[in-house]
Amino acid sequence: MKPMLSTELNTPEAVVDKAKIEVKNLNFYYGQSKALKDISLSLPERSVTAFIGPSGCGKSTLLRVFNRIYELYPKQSAEGQVLLDGHNILDRSQDLNLLRTKIGMVFQKPTPFPMSIYENIAFGVRLYEKISKSEMDGRVEQALKRAALWTEVKDKLNASGLSLSGGQQQRLCIARTVAVKPEVILLDEPASALDPLSTAKIEELIDELQADYTIVIVTHNMQQAARVSRQTAFMYLGELVEFDRTEKIFTSPREKRTQDYITGRFG
Amino acid sequence: MMTLCVVAAGIGLAWLALILGALVYKGLSGVSLAVFTEMTPPPGDAGGLLNAIYGSVVMTIIAVIVGTPIGVLAGTYMAEYGRFSKLTTIVRFINDILLSAPSIIIGLFVYELMVRPMGHFSAIAGAVALAILVIPVVVRTTEDMLNLVPNALREAGTAIGAPRWVVIKSVAYRAALSGIVTGILLAIARISGETAPLLFTALNNQFWSSNLNAPMASLPVTIFQFALSPYEEWQQLAWTGALIITLTVLGLSIFARSLTGRREDR
Repeated sequence: MKPMLSTELNTPEAVVDKAKIEVKNLNFYYGQSKALKDISLSLPERSVTAFIGPSGCGKSTLLRVFNRIYELYPKQSAEGQVLLDGHNILDRSQDLNLLRTKIGMVFQKPTPFPMSIYENIAFGVRLYEKISKSEMDGRVEQALKRAALWTEVKDKLNASGLSLSGGQQQRLCIARTVAVKPEVILLDEPASALDPLSTAKIEELIDELQADYTIVIVTHNMQQAARVSRQTAFMYLGELVEFDRTEKIFTSPREKRTQDYITGRFG
Repeated sequence: MMTLCVVAAGIGLAWLALILGALVYKGLSGVSLAVFTEMTPPPGDAGGLLNAIYGSVVMTIIAVIVGTPIGVLAGTYMAEYGRFSKLTTIVRFINDILLSAPSIIIGLFVYELMVRPMGHFSAIAGAVALAILVIPVVVRTTEDMLNLVPNALREAGTAIGAPRWVVIKSVAYRAALSGIVTGILLAIARISGETAPLLFTALNNQFWSSNLNAPMASLPVTIFQFALSPYEEWQQLAWTGALIITLTVLGLSIFARSLTGRREDR
């Protein structure tokens, strides 16, 4: 039986918060092949939503629609609606750079820019804001504190971002994203390239950030999804199989395929 | 098998050592202050290479100033804006042909393009010929180096809200900088030894001339002329000039190598 994919059904009952992002009948294509099939779901504001599923299920693809980063590549296209605060971001008139300042993204591999730690953070801020040196110093400090990196780097802000360890680089990327004051933060397997200790730090950070930001995390790691998220979407072969409160997904899923996946029978 | 390889490597290196040895042996004895302060002499007189060195430096600088921006921008188009376009494939193919085109053809081309219409040889025509040699080298290295910049870095720049040109300027160029500079240095090394394209364009000049619209001396052409002459003083100056060029190219290559090396350390 195919799951029903109406919007109401895909809003976790317990979550009554306002929807930050609403996806309606979204299809996504890589050339001719369809990677997302009629996805509809709604992500509540200021909470963590996890996308899980086996490789190739479309979870990263879905995430990459939210800031339209897929448009860097030809032959990738999305149809349907993605509403951010009720406004369709897939609309042609949407200013992409503006959209991306509202929706930040952190990638699987840490991607510090080839510049100093300070500049890594100031770079994004400077794009859209004209502020004085002392204000900028404040912003950099604030962002680094927010990403729990300040005490480790405060004496070497002029060192290259590339000189940091992998875990620190990833926190620098989070700091850089937070510094431009986005509303939504997209995390694409942010800890999969990190050691357990760094992973724990990133997860702690996600937990703190959800007070102020709407967070969407794609992860391979089901324990991680269970630990950090309030609601979880299970995807399989480009379909959204089930979307519900995280406890519900991991304890009493409605769908057999979800059950099979979380118990490790496939994927 | 290994012995054969070692022998082959040894033979290759031996020639290089012999060439360098002969250059140093014959050239070093002629190095004096006069080489850098006096003009090329008439036959039978003592003199220097000042006008030739000056001409080489001037034409190389103009060629680099003209050729580098064109090369870097074309390479940027191919690696960034037009990465997936058909035009890029075509440009890359043509560029590779240009890269391996015999330099004398470039010289003849510029002769037809500039020297004949203008009615006389000129330094500017020589510089243009050299610029045409610079472009394909710079295009190639710029494209290659930008292609080595991970896409994740471009995505990260884009994801923070930076427009395309800012991502290229502040992220991609910065990540590829040492590689691009290496390409430019290698292009300089290549043109500083070129003789053929200058024979038809800048010709030569026995005297001091800083007029870009007139024939200008250059080290390679002076070497060519002096080495073929029967006069001993000229032959000596040719050896010295050859040594100067070789050391300059060697220096540039080592500098370029050290830049790439530093990049790998990071």
